[in-house]
Parts: sequence; C-alpha cells; structure tokens
Amino acid sequence: MAPISQDGITRREFVTRVGATAALMAGSVIAARSLWQPNHFVPGFEKQRGLQLPSYALALDKLLPSMAIAHGEAHEGTIRAAIGALGGMGRFIKRGDVVMIKPNVAFDRPPALAATTHPDALRAVAKLVFEAGASKIIVADNPINSPAGCFLKSGLTAVASEMNLELMYPALKHFSPLQLDGEILKNWTFFHEPFKNANKVIGLSPCKDHNLCHASMTTKNWYGLLGGRRNQFHQHIHSIVSDFPLMMKPTLVILDGINVLMSNGPTGGRLSDVKRMSTIVAGTDMVAVDSYGYTHLLERNLDELTYLHKATERNLGNCNWKDSFYKEVQA
Amino acid sequence: MALLQKNKPPGGNRHSFVRTPIPVSENLICVVLLVIIAAIGVAIFLKGRHFDPDRFNVKVSSLNSTSSSVVGKSQTIAATTEIESDSTKDSTKSQTTPPRPMPTESPAASTETGGATDGEGGVEGVGARSTPMVKGEPLEIVLEGMKPMSPTEFYNADNLYEKIDGRSPAYQNFHVQALRCRTFAVTSLPGSFVDVYEYTFDSAVDAFGMFSLERDPKGKPTDFIADGYYGDMGWFFRRGLVYVQIIASDQNLQTITLAEALARNRARELPENDHGLEGRLMLPTKGLIPQSVSFIPDNAQGQAELRDVFVAAYSFDGERIPFFIMAAKPDEASRAWKLFHDFCMRFGKVEDLPDVKGSKIFSAQLFGKSKVVYVRGGELGGVFDVSDVNKGQAFIEHYLRGENK
Repeated sequence: MAPISQDGITRREFVTRVGATAALMAGSVIAARSLWQPNHFVPGFEKQRGLQLPSYALALDKLLPSMAIAHGEAHEGTIRAAIGALGGMGRFIKRGDVVMIKPNVAFDRPPALAATTHPDALRAVAKLVFEAGASKIIVADNPINSPAGCFLKSGLTAVASEMNLELMYPALKHFSPLQLDGEILKNWTFFHEPFKNANKVIGLSPCKDHNLCHASMTTKNWYGLLGGRRNQFHQHIHSIVSDFPLMMKPTLVILDGINVLMSNGPTGGRLSDVKRMSTIVAGTDMVAVDSYGYTHLLERNLDELTYLHKATERNLGNCNWKDSFYKEVQA
Repeated sequence: MALLQKNKPPGGNRHSFVRTPIPVSENLICVVLLVIIAAIGVAIFLKGRHFDPDRFNVKVSSLNSTSSSVVGKSQTIAATTEIESDSTKDSTKSQTTPPRPMPTESPAASTETGGATDGEGGVEGVGARSTPMVKGEPLEIVLEGMKPMSPTEFYNADNLYEKIDGRSPAYQNFHVQALRCRTFAVTSLPGSFVDVYEYTFDSAVDAFGMFSLERDPKGKPTDFIADGYYGDMGWFFRRGLVYVQIIASDQNLQTITLAEALARNRARELPENDHGLEGRLMLPTKGLIPQSVSFIPDNAQGQAELRDVFVAAYSFDGERIPFFIMAAKPDEASRAWKLFHDFCMRFGKVEDLPDVKGSKIFSAQLFGKSKVVYVRGGELGGVFDVSDVNKGQAFIEHYLRGENK
C-alpha cells in the first residue's frame, strides 16, 4: 500500500481507492443479480409479471371441421384418418415449423396399461408432422416421478430415438414463472423451455379415468407442464384444470381412445382396467374433444365433469361437442 | 498537535482530513472477514436453492443397528457386504435374498418368519427374529433371469404423489404408511421388465381395504395366498400390512413367469399379520364367489355399530347371496344386533326366527329389500338384499349349523 502523505492521500492513492470501491460495488451488484431468483414469486411482497404463452391456435376455418372422430384398430391408420378428416396435417403444420408435442407421461407404466401416451400414437403423430414439413419435433413432459424412467418405460424414449425427435427432460433452469388470470392459476412455475423455439403445439393424451377429477384427457394433459409442488392443486382440481384452456391455446389436440383406462386411474395397473374403444378424437377445442371422450369413450355422464362445464362457462371451449363442426370417419 | 498545526486549513473554515496509515494486520482481518461473509453467502445460496422436503424427516435408517438382533460383529459385516455385492452382481442362480420383513404389530407374526434368512443385516438360523423394515432398505430379490433395473424407491404418505400422483389420495384414505418399489429387468428380453410395488399400511385391515378397493372382479385367485389374484399382466395380493402389486411390462411368457416368481417370493417373504381381519377369517368358504370379498370400515348396513365388516357373495341353491360378518366382543355384538333389530322394526317389518344352536335370528323387509341377521357370541352377520328371503334364511341356518363352512 502506498504511503499516505502527511498532507492527505496522493492522487494515485485516491484514484486507486475509488476504483477499488467502485469495483466492489459493481461486484456486489453483479453477485446480487446472479443470486436473485427471478422465478421466485413472493405473493404480496413483489409485483412481478411472469410469462404468458402465445396462442398456438390457428384462425377458425368455418369450411373445415374443428373436431374429427375416427374409428379404427391401429394407431397410425386411425390418427391419419382423424387428421385427414380435419383437412390434413398440412392445415396445422407448415414447412419449417418447430412442433412441440406434449404427451402424458406422468407415470412409469408400460404402454399396455393405458396410463400414458401410447408410443404408437406418438410415432403416428410425429410421422404426420414430419410429412407436413416440420423441421423439428420436441417432445416434453414434466412427470413428478423420474422423467427418464417414465419416458423409458412408457416406450416413448424408443420412439423419440427411432423418429429423431428431441426429447426434453425437465431441469430447474427450464422453468419460468407463468402469469395467468385463472381461477386458481395466477403465478406458477412452468416448464417453458420446450416452448421457446416451438411455433406449433400439439397435445397428445390418453383417455383415462382419474381418481380425483374423474377423467384425464387433453385438457388435464397440460397439468404436466406445471412445476413446483403442484399436488397442492389437487384440492381444487376442477378449478385448475378449467384454467388450462386459458393457459394453453394449442394448435391441435389428439385424444387417444384406442385403449381407454376405464378404472383405477390415473395409474391403472391391470389390463382389466383397460377397454378397447378403437377411437381417436382430434380437434382444436380441447373442451369439445374431452366432452366426447368422457361420454363416448369413458362412457360416463358429462354432468359430473365439473371442469369442462367451468371452462364452457368461461368461454374457453364448448362442452356440447355436437354444437361444433365435427366429422366422424372410419379408418 | 504539531500535526494539526502543520495541516492548518489554507483559509476560511476548510478542514483538512487526515487519514492515518492502516496497519497490514487490520487489512488482513478485513479481507478474512469479507471472505467469510462471501463464503456464508455462497453456502446459503447453494443450500437454499432447492427445498428438500425430507430435510427434517427422521432418518430412521440410523436405527438400523438397533432394530436387528445383535448376534455378533461378523454377522453385521457379512450382511453389509452382501448388500453391496447383491445390488451390483448379475443374478445367475436361483437364490432368494429375502428382504427385511415389514413392520409387524403382533408378536406372533414376528416370530412366524423367524427362520428366514435375511440378507440385509438380519440374522439367520435358529432363534432369528424378524426385524422391522425401516425406510431405506432396498428391495433385494435375486431370481434367475432378472436383475434390478433401477434402485429401490421409497415414498411415505406425504410424498406418495411423487410416484402415483392423483392416485395417492385413495391410498391415504386407507392410511398408507410407505411405498417401496423397484423395477427388475428381464435379462433375456430387452425392454421387458417387472415392477414390484409394496404399499405398507398402518394395519392389515387398511391394507385389505385398499386391496379390495382396487380388486379386479375378473382376476383369478392365486394358489399361494388367500387375499390375492392375478390378471393378464400382474399379481396383486395382501400379505400382512402390505398390499403388493407385481406388474409385468408385457404378456411375454418369460416376463409373466418372472412376475409370478416375484409374486411368490414376496408372498413368502413378507410377514403374515391378520390382526383385525378376524371377520375375514370367519367367512365361510363353501360357495364363496372368488374376488367378491370386500371390507366396510364403518356404518355397514347403515348402522353405526356395524364396524370392520366383511362382505362376500355366495352361490347358494342357484342364488347369489350377499353375506356380511363382523367380529366383536360378545356384548358389543349382542347390542349391535339388538339395535339393528330395533332399526328394522322402526322402518320395516321384522320377524323373529327360531334360534339355531343358540344363535338369535331375525328376518326383515326393509325398503323393499330382505335381510336375515343373526348373532352368536362375538359374531354378528347376515344376508342382505336377497330376492328370496327363504333362501337367505336357509343359507344362514345352514351356516349356523356348520353345514357350509
């Protein structure tokens, strides 16, 4: 350290000290900035705007159906028939599109138990999307259980590898705060990374019984994008599921009703819980698609499926599926 | 003072500020303090980044050493070595490494498995006792043709949703305590596997309750355990406090064979405990329709006094007869029967029937349905919702005379 003169400090010493102080302050600011968790909401403490997903939906085409019901035995043929009835995948996917496919891979169950999106369904949809000219397909879900195990045991890892799909497992850095004016969903951490580069979104879900909300279909499927301790929403399950059509405006949803988990959902575990219904429903209105699924695939009374009625009341879809322009075809 | 005079302000009221030299030691202390503060900050950041829900959980695994019979240090070392080797080696021989038995409430149950070898720190040989399972004990099963595909997973009632999500409340309703599960790969069939799920409940009754709730009406009864059945891809049974699910990934013969071997292994190794299931054991077996047994914890038949009731259906004289039974203290059973009798009198038509071997019986027409209800000692039971009350009465009389055990 330079000696201090009896008259005060030297100019050099002054500049050095001011520089050191400024550097320390700048370092503190940088450190504070890096330590700050922008994704962390403290209700009542700080007003913060989170992300709001853009709409991936296409403009309504009154000349083409908004919902298609296809009956058939094999996934590929039946999905192809359903999408064909909607006007073909080319209506939804353009050349060069990056498509995010959201399957339901909530559990590490084998495909035969119908608790997860069937690998044949993913393969069929991916094939159609690539045929329409998509440049890339991202497949992502946020299972509470080990994502790697869920994707592997449900058979989707093999399909992703075979079809050259980008499989995205959730990591902490992949989540961003979501801001929504939902009934329940206001601020919550969301699996955002798969959507950063995607310009089209397709929901691909199985049709299954659910212990808490009666049924898990294309609307409930988006629950798998929430992060955090999302089980706390189980107390208001119908309300939060009815928020999903507000949160997500997908390009297309596809409900796989080839094999339906009729009981002991959402996990199942027995082949006797599964009933072959040989149907695929595709459409742009997830509420309409699910209302068909609930009444015709799960064979239940729509009156009890509160979340679809809530969504309809909020003009987020129409649970009276017969009101929509639909087409029923045989594969 | 001389210094102040020397640094006299140049004019007016200006003061000169004099900084004395800072000793090297003080600078060093400052640097050390700053480093410590920075280190604390970094530590807080790193530790606080993720909330660990298990942070304040009791580490019951630390009680391992106290939960097993101590028979010598060499035994402990051998067992420890076995854990390490078993988890990594490929199984080539048909050898079962029994897991540590599950917790048991009744002393009788704990001694029943006493002779079992325990490959994870337990004991073997004469006088060996079962030791309670504690959190963290891996599910080590060695069978020819399979090997562990993943480590053993453990869940408690609070974080069960992390494994089965929306299904967990159904298990919590029956007071599930823990889930231990593991996947085993079929070595000869790439991609094939078998999942083993062991849900431990607070009582055998609750384990049976959950088992009954999920029971597959089309399931076929197993030949190795009473409360069990199998379907096209899995085996499901209750053993003691544990509800076991063995689920195969496919219907390949090799996969199914291994799944069955795993089921038999678990049925053999888990400790028996039927405490609270006395009513279940009283159910007559003749004419019992397989997989029709269920459990009603309370308010059976709309009666507050009818608790822990078992219900089963019987095929009798060409008729399906629903039958219920409750085991209680004699005075409680007698009181419940009397209250049930009074209830039926108030809301329907009751006829007192002749006693059979000291059992009191009444039949009732209630809300368009027929019942025949009896009590003998600490046993209360009856048939209900029968279309032909005479057949219901005949069934009860046969049973009370010991003709359809």
